[in-house]
This record gives sequence, C-alpha cells and structure tokens, in this order.
Amino acid sequence: MKNPLIKRIPRELTRDWHKYLVIIVFMLLMIGVVSSMYVAHDSMMAAIEDTRSTGNLEDGRFEVNKELTDDIIEKIESGEVSKDWIAYTEALTGEDFEEIESIPVEIISHFFKNEEEDRDGDGIKDATVRVYKSDSTVDLATFNEGRAPENENEIAIDRMHADNVGLKTGDTIMLSGRQFKIVGLLSYVNYTTLHESTTDLMFDAFGFDVAMVTPEAFEKLEAPLHYNYVFMYNEKPDGNVEKADFAERFLKVLISRVAIAGLSLEDFVPEYLNQSSNFAPSDIEGDTAGAEVLIYILIAVIAFIFAITISTTIDKEASVIGTLRASGYTKGELVRHYMAMPVVVTIIGALLGNLGGYTVFKEIVVYLYYNSYSLPKYTTVWSGEAFIKTTLIPLILMLVINLFVIINKLKFSPLRFLRHDLKRTKRAKAVRLPSWSFLARFRLRVLFQNIPNYLVLIFGIVFIEIMLCFAFGFPDSLNHYAEEAPGMLFSKYQYSLTGMMDEKGKELTTATEGAEKFIATSLEQSRLSDGEAMRGASSSTEGITVYGYIKDSSYITIREALEEGNVYVSASYADKYSLKEGDKISLSEKYGSSSYTFTVAGVFNYSGSLAVFMPIENFNRIFGNKEGDFSGYFSDLEIKDISSKYIANVLTEEDVTKITNQLMHSMGGFMNIFRYALLVMSIALIYLLSKIIIEKNESPISMAKILGFKNSEISSLYMLPTAIMVFVFAILSFAVGKAIISWVFRIFMMQMDGWFTFYMSVKGMILTVLFIIIGYAVVSVTDFIRIKKIPLDEALKNIE
Amino acid sequence: MNERYSGQGPFLEISGLKKSFGSGEAKQDVLRGMDFTVNKGEFCVLLGPSGSGKSTLLNIIGGIDTPDAGYVSIRGDKLAGMNEKALTLYRRKHLGYVFQMYNLIPNLNVKENIEVGAYLSDNPLDVNDLLHTLGLEDHKYKYPNQLSGGQQQRVSIGRAVVKNPDILMCDEPTGALDYKTSKEILGLIEDCNKKYGNTVIMVTHNEAIRHMADHVIRLRDGIVRHNDINTEKVSASELEW
Repeated sequence: MKNPLIKRIPRELTRDWHKYLVIIVFMLLMIGVVSSMYVAHDSMMAAIEDTRSTGNLEDGRFEVNKELTDDIIEKIESGEVSKDWIAYTEALTGEDFEEIESIPVEIISHFFKNEEEDRDGDGIKDATVRVYKSDSTVDLATFNEGRAPENENEIAIDRMHADNVGLKTGDTIMLSGRQFKIVGLLSYVNYTTLHESTTDLMFDAFGFDVAMVTPEAFEKLEAPLHYNYVFMYNEKPDGNVEKADFAERFLKVLISRVAIAGLSLEDFVPEYLNQSSNFAPSDIEGDTAGAEVLIYILIAVIAFIFAITISTTIDKEASVIGTLRASGYTKGELVRHYMAMPVVVTIIGALLGNLGGYTVFKEIVVYLYYNSYSLPKYTTVWSGEAFIKTTLIPLILMLVINLFVIINKLKFSPLRFLRHDLKRTKRAKAVRLPSWSFLARFRLRVLFQNIPNYLVLIFGIVFIEIMLCFAFGFPDSLNHYAEEAPGMLFSKYQYSLTGMMDEKGKELTTATEGAEKFIATSLEQSRLSDGEAMRGASSSTEGITVYGYIKDSSYITIREALEEGNVYVSASYADKYSLKEGDKISLSEKYGSSSYTFTVAGVFNYSGSLAVFMPIENFNRIFGNKEGDFSGYFSDLEIKDISSKYIANVLTEEDVTKITNQLMHSMGGFMNIFRYALLVMSIALIYLLSKIIIEKNESPISMAKILGFKNSEISSLYMLPTAIMVFVFAILSFAVGKAIISWVFRIFMMQMDGWFTFYMSVKGMILTVLFIIIGYAVVSVTDFIRIKKIPLDEALKNIE
Repeated sequence: MNERYSGQGPFLEISGLKKSFGSGEAKQDVLRGMDFTVNKGEFCVLLGPSGSGKSTLLNIIGGIDTPDAGYVSIRGDKLAGMNEKALTLYRRKHLGYVFQMYNLIPNLNVKENIEVGAYLSDNPLDVNDLLHTLGLEDHKYKYPNQLSGGQQQRVSIGRAVVKNPDILMCDEPTGALDYKTSKEILGLIEDCNKKYGNTVIMVTHNEAIRHMADHVIRLRDGIVRHNDINTEKVSASELEW
C-alpha cells in the first residue's frame, strides 16, 4: 500500500497554488536564465574552439618597423638566440647569458593597414578600420553573412561593428577616399572582440573595425603598412604555463634577431595574452561563474523560505504529527513526507527552467553575446554542466537545508507534539517590554514571534540589494566616467608624434596657441601578487605611462621642483596600488631589460590612466635621451600646422569615453531588464515571507476580529512590524550591498589594465532602497486583502 | 486478523509504576506506584478525576512516555528495554490511539484518513467494511471540516481500529462530544471490541462509562484505589449520565 500521506502533496500544491506558482516561476526564471547561460556558453565555446582550429589561429604575432628579409625570417624561425647578441649583452652587463632551449617557429607575414573608415562620405573619420588581405593563410574569418570580397571595390567587415554602427551588406563605406561595397559580414578568429590594442581596457566595436579586401585593393590603400608577422610554434605548447615559457623564450630569440638586424620591435603579443581573441571566451566564462553563485544564493533563499513554511506547518499540525507518531509512524516517514513538497517544487522549477534554458532564454543570452562579441555561428550543444549546476546542485541544496530544518523540527517526542510543546528551550518568563502603548507592545510581540522569518528576509534583501547596487551602480559608474572624461585629459587634444623631426630634419613645431611639448613612454608595473586579486589576471604586469612635462606646464600642473628619481603618480595609480608619499615604485621596460625605481613625491589629481609624472629634463636624463627631446604636444586647440603623417595618434575626449559607450551599448538594455527582474524578485520574496507571518497568525487575527478590532487596526498590528523591518533592512542592506559591490569591483579591476572606480549617484542610491520599498508596497496590498479574508470562525476551529 | 496473544501470564502487566514531574519543591508525583494487569480482549476503563494520573498512565502504556520506576509489560515484553525505534515499531504493530481531539489530516478525506492507519499494518481490516461499521459510507469522500465532531471522532476511531491493533488506547474519546454522540461513539468502540477482539483501555472521568467495561480501575492521587471486574456489564446504549 502506498503511503496515503502522498495524496496531500498535489492537494497542498493546488490549495496554495499562488504561493507555489510564485516559487516555481522564481525558480523557472533563475534556473532558466542560468541554464541558458551554460548552454549558450558551451555552445558558443564549442563554436569558438572549432573556429580556432579550423581558422588557423596564430600562436602569437609581432610587429617590426621594417619588412623582414628572408634571411632574418629564417634565423628567427630557427628559434636560436643570436650569438652576436649574446656576446654583446654579456659584454654590456658583465654577466653570463643564461642559455635557453631553441624554439623553432614558422613565420608568416600578415601585414595590415589601419585605415580611416568614413561611413557617410563626409570626409571625417568615423572609425579606425584594420584591413587585412583576403588571401591570408592564417587568422582566417568565418562569414556570418555574405562572402569574401572578390574585386577591388568590395570589402567584408566585422559583423558586430556593422551591427553597432548600422551597416549591412550592400552598403558602401569610404577608405582612403575610395568607395567599397560591403559584400560580407565576418568574424575573424583572432578578433572575437574588437580590441584595437591588446592593452585596451575594453573593446570598441563603434570606433574600431576589422575588414578584408582583395590583395589588389589592399595595395591601393594609402595608410602606412604595419609589418605584422604571425608566428606558429613547430611544437605546440600545452597549457598556460608552457605557453608563457614558450613566449618568453621566443621573445628573447626575436629581440636578439631584430636587434642584430638593426630593426625595432614595435609590438609582441603571444596569442594567449591577446585580448581580442581571449576576452570573449574568458568573459563568457566569467558570466557563468557569476551566475553560478547567483543561483546558489537564490536557491538557498528559496530553501529557507520553504524551511520556514514547513516549520510553521509542523507547528500547526503538531497534534496530527503527535497522533501519527503515537500510532507508529516513524520519524523518517514524516521527514520524507515534509521533504516531498520542496523536492517536488524544485524538480518542477528545474524541469521548466531547463526547458527554458535550451529554448527562449538561450536565444536571449546568445543575442546578448552577439551584441557584445564578434562570434562565429554556433549550434546548440547539450551541457552536462548546466544540468549538474542548475538542477542537481539546487536540488541537493534544497534537500540539505530542508532536511536539516525538518529533522531538527521533528526530533521531539510524540507526547510533546500532542502537547504542542515544540520549543527547544523553555522560557521561564516572557520578555518584559517597556510600558509603551498596548498596540506598540502587541506589534513588538509579533516582531519577536517572527524573528526567523525576518532573518531570511534580511538575507534575501541583502542579496537583492547587492544586485540592485550593481544594476544601478554600474550604469552610474559608466555615466560618471563619461562625465568626468574631459577632466581625464590633460588637454582637449593630446598628439603623439612619430618622431621629433620632419623629413627634412627640421623639428616639428606648432604655432597653435597654448600647445605645449611633452614626452612620454610606457613602462610596466608588476601586479600585486598577494591574494585573490591576481587570479584571472591576463598578465603579470600592466602598463604605466611615464610623462615628462615642461616647467610651469599649463596641463600637468605640478609646481613642486622634483629631484631626479622623485615623481608624482596619478590619482588612479595611487588608488589602485595604494601608493602614498615616500613609497618606492619599480617599473621596467616591456621589451628590454632595464628597470627604474622612483620615489613617490605626491599624487597628481588625474584619473585618466595609471601614470607617473616628472619634469621633462629629469625624464630625458633618466631614459638616456638628448636634452630637449619630446614626443608630442598637449593642446586645447586642434593643431593644424603639423602634417598628419607625423602624427602617430591623437587622444581626445571621444577616445576616453569609447569604453563607456561600448559598455553602455553592450549592457545598458540588459541592466534595465535586470532592475525590473530584481523588483519582481523582491516582491516575490517579501510576498512569500509576509504570507507566512499572516498564516501563522490566522487564529489570533480571527480572534481579534471577534473581539471587535477593525481590519485596519489588525493590519497595522500584523503588517507594520514587517513594514518597519523591510524599511530598516532595505537601508542597512543598501550599505552592505554597496560596500560589497565596491569591493568586488575593485578586485575585478585589479585584474584588468587601468583603473575605474565604482560610483553610485544619489538617485541610484535612493532607487535601490525604493525598489525594495515598492516591492513591499505591492505585497502589503495583498496582505491587507488576505487579512480581510480571514473568517471569524477561524479562531473557533481546532481549539485544544 | 493479527495473531492474538495466547501466551502464559497477563496480557498487560503494570508493576510498581512511578512518575513525577518537576524537581525540588515543585516536584509533583503523578504516579506513585501502580500495579495491575489487564487480560486479552478486555474492555478496561481507567477512571479518575482530573490530575489522578490516568492520561500519564495511558501514555506510558502506549510507549510515548517513560516511567521513573516500575515497568509495563505487554505480551511478556517489557517496554523499558526498548529504544525509540523499537517503541515506534511496537506502537505501529500493536497499538491504536483515539484522543479527545480527533487530530485528522485536514487535506485528506474520510477514507484516506482511515487509510493513514491501514498503511501501518501488515494485516489491516477492509477499509470499506470499516466505513460501513462506522456509519461513514456516505461521507467517505468528505474532508474533516465538512463533518460534525461526532463524525470526526468516528473517523479517528476508524484510523485506530483499521490497523487491527492488539490494544486500542482511548484518551477521553467522548470528552468533546455531546451526550447522544458520546453514546454512539462508545457503542462503536464496544462493537469494535466485540467484533475484532482488540483489548480496549479507555481513560475517562465519566463514572457512567464504567458500567460498559469488563474491568474498572479507579485512580486517585497517582495510585490504584479500586481494581474491579464488572460482572454486570451493560451495553453503551443503556448508559445514562
């Protein structure tokens, strides 16, 4: 015979359907969203992995200032460090060169040109487009739409850039004054995100594009040729440690060969450190890690809500339980019976969630991925991980939490159940309350009675507040950064020159009013090595810009006369690395062996980048330059009297804000949906908990009605304590949530290049608290109706 | 039907039973040394005023409370040596409980509430037969809140009897019922005792009920004052109070 108690489960589900519907929808959404993230992640990762092998992805690339001869290429490919260079280095340093194992490679030229993309034909640059030839044999592209260019006036551009700026196949764009028809939208295997440089904090799918033209069209483009070479190891490294070792060894080979050939190494990026090919997969990876924590916290909240509900039911059914136990029902049978409901509800939620995860929700996540990354086409794959993490683990979590609570609750003897004596400790006397009004004391008693409910409420509200702080604070931080952007530039235009002299050997000067010389170079700072901050960092160092400024500079307004070796650091640098006056910082060359130690003399209020400042004279002496050397101009007015061919790049406000624009585009819509989802979650949570409080007190509420209390008075007795709790918790949780998010943000930024602080506007702060209060306001209406509906005879039933 | 006790010695033996609550000055001796036996199939009434220790005694016999001294032996097995698991099994196999309050499961109907008892037995009575005996045939699909107090107590008796227990323990089964309904319920318990041969131990403060019992034990202040065999037994329908 089946246990007849099983029949209670479907009846309980239908009797209290609105409560279980809220929980099931809650779980469906949670599990659906997280499961979809895993499914989309696994499908997308499979597609990325597939294109990485079929697309002949480089093992790394480097750029030199001139084309390599076949002889040099052959020597580099040998993987041997130049003996001449070893001799020279040993002579220079007086130390023996540590021999390295040879690292043979294949070198393939993969030249590109950075062209100006003009979409509307007005002659003004709309974006930078990096153009490759269509006959490349490495770093191939897949076509999301259309085809490769076949004649001189055809071009294929990146799919995501096209989406972001509203281009489609059939449109035309101008490059070097020549018109190209877009015949394909592509995704290069090494550009799953559009990072112009691997040191960029964020990709920029608006201002940067990659494209493919025919070799004939490529020759006709006017922008300078970048002598970019791809290298492929003859023997493939296995894992990141070996990849780092290979890259280090190959870099030595390369430096020696390039130096002996009298060339300059402009750039070197091993593939495993290349942001444009690794950012998307690692970001997609991060999404699921975050979602995993999210789902476990939410399941724990639901599990506790269930535990409280069951605990209340056990209190209510104490006589029945006592009778059943006295009749011979075992504790195990009753534990299983009370466990059935959370398990059934979790299974229903998980099944529906998984169904959604493979269908509707997955489409949304994939859409979000395509909205941010230049990804190839994908096919949906089964994700075992999704099943384990979104179904099995939540089920186990639900089981463990409820099992603990139910076993604890059912441990009393049958007699104690029959006597309704279920308190663990016998309180000698009731807590004495101050001599407040009767109603105030009554409310306080209701509050004391529901402390476990309020504990779950705190947990839930803190959790929702953390997410609300993120949902409001993240866009706020981006907007704040964009607003502060003008202040993050020394001048409206910052020109970096290709050299100091023009073709005739004459110094590049300008008559532009207010223009001021400066010099800059890039060194590297070791990341903090302590603790978690390092985990996940793409490399162990990050770039620091070193500026030399002229005396009484109008743009870098440091007035202190600095001795050689003393420097000011930017506010963001000081903040990120906790630097203060008197600290020593050690910076080293990226591709060289020199390192420099400076003493921090002060912090300069500049947050545009991690930077070090010193007088230009000190700079030139320290870096072995000639007196009077400089590398660019600061100017608030556009410089028109220096030919563009001598200008390496110009930094304007737009460049600083491109990161925020990109993030707003990728995440802005999502954040709005997220906020409202959180509002719904807070409503659901408060609804479930306040329902328990009222259900627990149905009998006293009914008795109060019999005694003549009005519905409004009863509501104020039973609802006001919850209202006060929600209000207080919302404010306290906001403080906790903001502190946690700021901390998480800081940890996250420690792993990234650059610095970006978390910021919340006053409006954002108020709204995070208001969202919870709005949630309660909605619930309080249903609570009032619920109180109104409690019948008068409730108090007269089952009185023992 | 269960194989009934047929061994030597009394079916139920109570010996030197003591129980007190509280400690120090607040210590209250509820049972102060009780000795009596009950035979198989007997209808035994434990009679006494409030505070005489009758419910405590019933709980100890039922294995849901433990004595401070003395022992309870059923079919020759002493309860004192049993752990919680064995006691649960003992209750499951041998006892049926009827309380003053019916303690029915609100979201199970009449038939299902009786099945809750049947589930525990290896050899349960036929539920439909029992529904007929209890006069609940027309109400079997009703939920407890659709029944009167008397009907609910019938269901509770059904839940206890359906197991076909060796002992039917009844704790003031008519305490919450009116005169007429009480007599009906007592009649039902009497019928079950006759029909299924269960030993009945009923706790009550109602003097009139002693007339329908085979064996009347009067308790006062925690001791047995009188232990009588009733030779002039009348049926429940003839009781007056």
